[in-house]
Amino acid sequence: MTKRPAQMAVTGFSLRTPLGDDVDTIAQRLLSGERAGGPNPRFDARTYPCQLAAAIASDPKPSKHRKFIKRMGLFGMEVGVEAFNRAQRSIRGPRLGLFCGYGGLRAHWDDLMPVLERQDGSVDARESWTRGFSLLHPFWMLFHLSNNAHALLSIQLNATGDGTTTAGSNAGAQALQAAAAALEVGSIDTALVFSYDSLVEPETMLSLGVAGATTSEESVEAVRAPYGPGASGFIPSEAAAAIVLEKPESAEGRTIALLSATASADGHDGFADGSCLAQSLSVVASGDSLVDGAGLAQYELDAAEREAIANVLGNEASLISTAASLGQMGAATPLVQAILLSHFLAKKTLPPIAGLTAPAAGPLRPLTSRTSTDFRSAVALACGMPGLVGAVRVELP
Amino acid sequence: MSQRRAVITGVGAVSAFGIGFAALEKGLLAGRSAIGPIRNFDASTFPTRVAGEVPVVQTNAAFITDQLDVFLRSGEADRWERSGLLRDRKVCFGLLAATEAFLHAGCTAEERRAALSLGLGLEQAFLDDLAGEYVDGRMRIGAGAEAGGEGIRFRSRVDLCAQKIRSVLRLSGRIVVHVSACAAGGMAVAHAAAMIERGQADVVLCGGSDSMVNPLGVGGMSRLSAPSPRAEASACRPFDRRRDGLVMGEGAAVFVVEEESRALARGASPLARILGWASTQDAYRATAPRPDGSRARAAMERAVRRAKLQPSDIGYINAHGTGTPLNDVAEAKAIRGLFGDVPVSSIKGAIGHLMAAAGAIELAACLLPLTHDVLPGTAHFEEPDPECPVDVIGQTPRIARVDHVLSNSFGFGGQNVSLVLGRVE
Repeated sequence: MTKRPAQMAVTGFSLRTPLGDDVDTIAQRLLSGERAGGPNPRFDARTYPCQLAAAIASDPKPSKHRKFIKRMGLFGMEVGVEAFNRAQRSIRGPRLGLFCGYGGLRAHWDDLMPVLERQDGSVDARESWTRGFSLLHPFWMLFHLSNNAHALLSIQLNATGDGTTTAGSNAGAQALQAAAAALEVGSIDTALVFSYDSLVEPETMLSLGVAGATTSEESVEAVRAPYGPGASGFIPSEAAAAIVLEKPESAEGRTIALLSATASADGHDGFADGSCLAQSLSVVASGDSLVDGAGLAQYELDAAEREAIANVLGNEASLISTAASLGQMGAATPLVQAILLSHFLAKKTLPPIAGLTAPAAGPLRPLTSRTSTDFRSAVALACGMPGLVGAVRVELP
Repeated sequence: MSQRRAVITGVGAVSAFGIGFAALEKGLLAGRSAIGPIRNFDASTFPTRVAGEVPVVQTNAAFITDQLDVFLRSGEADRWERSGLLRDRKVCFGLLAATEAFLHAGCTAEERRAALSLGLGLEQAFLDDLAGEYVDGRMRIGAGAEAGGEGIRFRSRVDLCAQKIRSVLRLSGRIVVHVSACAAGGMAVAHAAAMIERGQADVVLCGGSDSMVNPLGVGGMSRLSAPSPRAEASACRPFDRRRDGLVMGEGAAVFVVEEESRALARGASPLARILGWASTQDAYRATAPRPDGSRARAAMERAVRRAKLQPSDIGYINAHGTGTPLNDVAEAKAIRGLFGDVPVSSIKGAIGHLMAAAGAIELAACLLPLTHDVLPGTAHFEEPDPECPVDVIGQTPRIARVDHVLSNSFGFGGQNVSLVLGRVE
């Protein structure tokens, strides 16, 4: 059974992506058809199935939490604070809720090195305490907790209302959905939703490569764009994004966009099939003619996605792909999509699908150049393994 | 519009008492403790050497086939073993608890449309893998033969357990994975009840699964000094004046939660109603609860209000009760301030702290008052602490009929969740 998700007002946002740290810069680069990516800057990936990556260029700002939280968590906290400040909400305490979409732990071994070094190649754990654990920082375990950015951000903002941390490749959509539910029942007045994820670290690069999801091209220019013929894998990416949600009636005059979201899944180990995409989209769609596709850049998956979207929005809906420019951003994708779509609708200009010159045959109208628009609303799809889907809809107030 | 209400129609559990809800029930009814020496790895040199360990030394294909045979596809367990995922004990425990709950509730093909809401622990990493790949000062992680199948060579994905449960039971609803540390299991059940009440699902499998009883988990927790320094079966003594830390546990509990009228229409037998729930955040310190317990109290207060009850209606509280000096004082203050003299216990002395699964297994324990008229006891509680001014049920379970019970779960960094269950008339 499905129930249409509640629509909430976006009153603040912030983001970090491989194409910039503010929405104007990022949007301008998307409108120019730019694509993020290059040789993986995070580690030497030359022997990996995928050598390309789109990483956030900036470093996290200096923070007293730097010792206790990993790079992406710091980005998550940064965007959370920025979004909250931009929403100009003085509300704190029990009426402020905090919802986190956590992509997953990455590169967890880097600060385990003292233990591993002293293991001297032995896989026997028996002596590992004396060999190295006793040297670790007492909070080593806390560095790796899935909700550590959430906990520290709640302290920083004095958010004592509802809150949860969700996980998975559609965790951003889960968090948006949970926040909307809390607002709808009235247990909080303001929800800060933040999500962060990185697919460019070794373990994720490996698993995505083994699954055949990522591109094997050696240069960004050689990567075939999603929705084009011969598309054969995406560029892994990373992002952090935050959105402040309020009830529409509480945000009159401050509403940037109205947002609704849903998260769903099918039983596949790989990416969700077309029926799951259509079902997810139908939950949020309401007379929309513009969609930001998942853009997995696999010919068959792209074709199935276009069919699914057409089944819900019709054959003539316009198709863009922020993923074509930014790469696949995992759990953070739905928030990034919502922020950028709101911006493009407000500016009445849509970006081309970066790198796409001649779309593969199929329904929808994939945009190959910058295009003016009068659309007031749009939907977006995001896909991740195993079979997880996030769908968001934004509408100008 | 009629009020939609969530009921529990099935339960499955894996704990230090053994595999199956009946083992948990039997152990708690007998007032036993299942804490003992760690057996699944050699912990003799670790500061923490006892745990509430599930009595299964190795989770492998033979074990999982023996437990889940009718649910498995041909060769599935062997494939899982080869890929390494069965080493993540929480995946196995979650599978066992979920299938038990599914069978207990008498689920059929219709219930396979269920959603799944799970509280899960950290991605499992394996010290032996990592140590074996550390060469000349760096990790040897390359492509080809060294690549990890299903991404689990160096850690299991955070939602792997949920994916496998969904696959084995062939569920088709949405998946929600909560990772709010020790509050995750409670959050997952609360989310399930909310989905039922809001009409977003008719059936949800929900609960939690976790295991940190492994070298990295025990090593990390030991550095944090959270576990009791005593390597004794009585190491965890919730609310006792001499308490000095927690004991790690492992296991899972999964419930089938349904919309009540639907459950009754299909002939299911509800075990309890989920009447209220609420979450709050301490926003105090990363490593300590708010000393006055005010946000924990707010979670309990809101959960009771949501249940349309008064605090005086609550007849028993299953406390988070970790046995750490700070938690128990703050929680006891919060309980005392809101509920007065209500009976309180913690089962962590008996089975340990199941971390992300704690809220789920403790909610399973909350079924005892509603189905057996027995309030679980607090293993190893002997000396009351004046700083914990609550009516702590001692080691012996208390016989009493109550109609409403409340369960608390508090996570790292101050994420709190409270749930209220009600008796089915």
